[in-house]
Amino acid sequence: METRALGDTGQESTVLTFGSIALNWLEQEGANQLVELVLDHGVNHFDVAPTYGDAELKLGPKLRQYREEVFLGCKTQEREYEGAARKIDRSLNRLGIDTIDLYQIHGLEYEDELDTITADGGALEAIREAKAAGKIDHIGLTSHGDPGLILDAIDRIDDLETVMFPLNPVVAGKDDSEYDYEAVLDRCEAEGIGTLGIKAFAKGSWPSTDELAEADRPYANWYEPVDTPAVIRERFDFAAAQGLDTVVSPGDPKLVAMVLDAASRFEGMDEARQRALIEEARHDDSPVPEQLHH
Amino acid sequence: MDSVPETVTAALADRQVEGQVCLEAGAGVGNTTAGLLAAGAERVYAVTNDADHAAVVRERVGDGNADRLAVVEADLRSTPLSTDSVDLVTAHGLCNVLPPADLDAAAAELTRVTKPDGHLVVDDYAVPPAGAAVNRLFALENAAAQVVDGRPALTFYPPAVLAAVFADHGWTVERKKTLLEPVPWTEAHLDAHAEVVREYAEMLPDSLGEPLAAMAEDLVSAIGSERTGTMYSLAFRLAE
Repeated sequence: METRALGDTGQESTVLTFGSIALNWLEQEGANQLVELVLDHGVNHFDVAPTYGDAELKLGPKLRQYREEVFLGCKTQEREYEGAARKIDRSLNRLGIDTIDLYQIHGLEYEDELDTITADGGALEAIREAKAAGKIDHIGLTSHGDPGLILDAIDRIDDLETVMFPLNPVVAGKDDSEYDYEAVLDRCEAEGIGTLGIKAFAKGSWPSTDELAEADRPYANWYEPVDTPAVIRERFDFAAAQGLDTVVSPGDPKLVAMVLDAASRFEGMDEARQRALIEEARHDDSPVPEQLHH
Repeated sequence: MDSVPETVTAALADRQVEGQVCLEAGAGVGNTTAGLLAAGAERVYAVTNDADHAAVVRERVGDGNADRLAVVEADLRSTPLSTDSVDLVTAHGLCNVLPPADLDAAAAELTRVTKPDGHLVVDDYAVPPAGAAVNRLFALENAAAQVVDGRPALTFYPPAVLAAVFADHGWTVERKKTLLEPVPWTEAHLDAHAEVVREYAEMLPDSLGEPLAAMAEDLVSAIGSERTGTMYSLAFRLAE
């Protein structure tokens, strides 16, 4: 599988990162098998979080077995010192390892959170201490939020080494600043910050719970995913062609094998085809009266 | 404001737009006009012969652009613009709605208003592949147009043909680019083409119009959507 430099971290990550939340939905034996499958495809970057149910615990055994082969990202939704310090130790314990390669501030959504994180007594202080103590190697950030907020975070956190954010044809086709993740990509490229893409496989929101109860959804993802080999491959190729360093696999284990196959076959995507996907999504999504042309 | 389509952004990306006086030939719903304004055009003449389109363009990009935008309702074969007054002409998805005779007349007029050494960007569809399902809908659209207007609604020109048409007026191709491959003909696009058939059908006696409209309806549901063919962009320069 193709590898790319993860910004200036020194890590060469496979173009696919394994979203280890998928392990949460499996029994331990199945989780072990899925990790083996992922490693068989050469994937060397895993991502997990303490909020993903039992994913940390279920990743633990195989992670320890193959520790040298896996660059592990973990995260915290804590915004203050105490909580973050506790979560780092908890994740290390649950995973059964000594060092987390990449520790990310998880799901940044509001400017005031950034204030809290970067202030005295904020989460960043705990993360930096953990880094000094050798418990983590690199500092990152994840956000589904406003690209402007991610840019602010890059400005305000000098030692930020990676960011994780959504990118797919729907997002790429929107001009509004609230979807301008391309500006984030450009900035990261200029500053040597690693980029991880999420929601590459999102088809749309789930129907309302009135229409489809949460318990009746056929996939574990937060969103309704694309789920056929051809479309998954197209979505992977699109995301990987946008300049992201690596694309995170979707959260449902039923989709992972298809995504592994897509990533293994990745050979780029030409620009006319990328535009075709963006155009298609733009028109599918458009509530306005239609026109004849593209 | 609606997003500027990637096709427009890609076609303009390697062109000098900032500070230029531009003419968008066949303004449609204002996609290219919006793209030209976003790229810093000094002035955009959005020319259309369709009053509805003119209103849509004003509504979409008129706000805040009063000093840079002029929506001109005129026939492209004869516009009120001065000779040698425009730096850059764009025709995005225009030529396919112009039958050959109209195309040549429009090319002559666009050449007249362009400054010597000026620029032109023509974006259009290559002839769809023979087996494409959308051809059936386009053929129906053309049949309806022939019966009502005595001219086709759609003519797909290969890039070499458009290059030759404009070459006759002093234009040289500077670059060719593929904008879309495949072209995503979505349900919404097919509906828009079926709507054209319905509009023609309404001008015909029921005995002829109703079956035409029904055929369009059936084709749209049979095709659903299709990815086929290419959309290309030609950039020209006018002789000095």
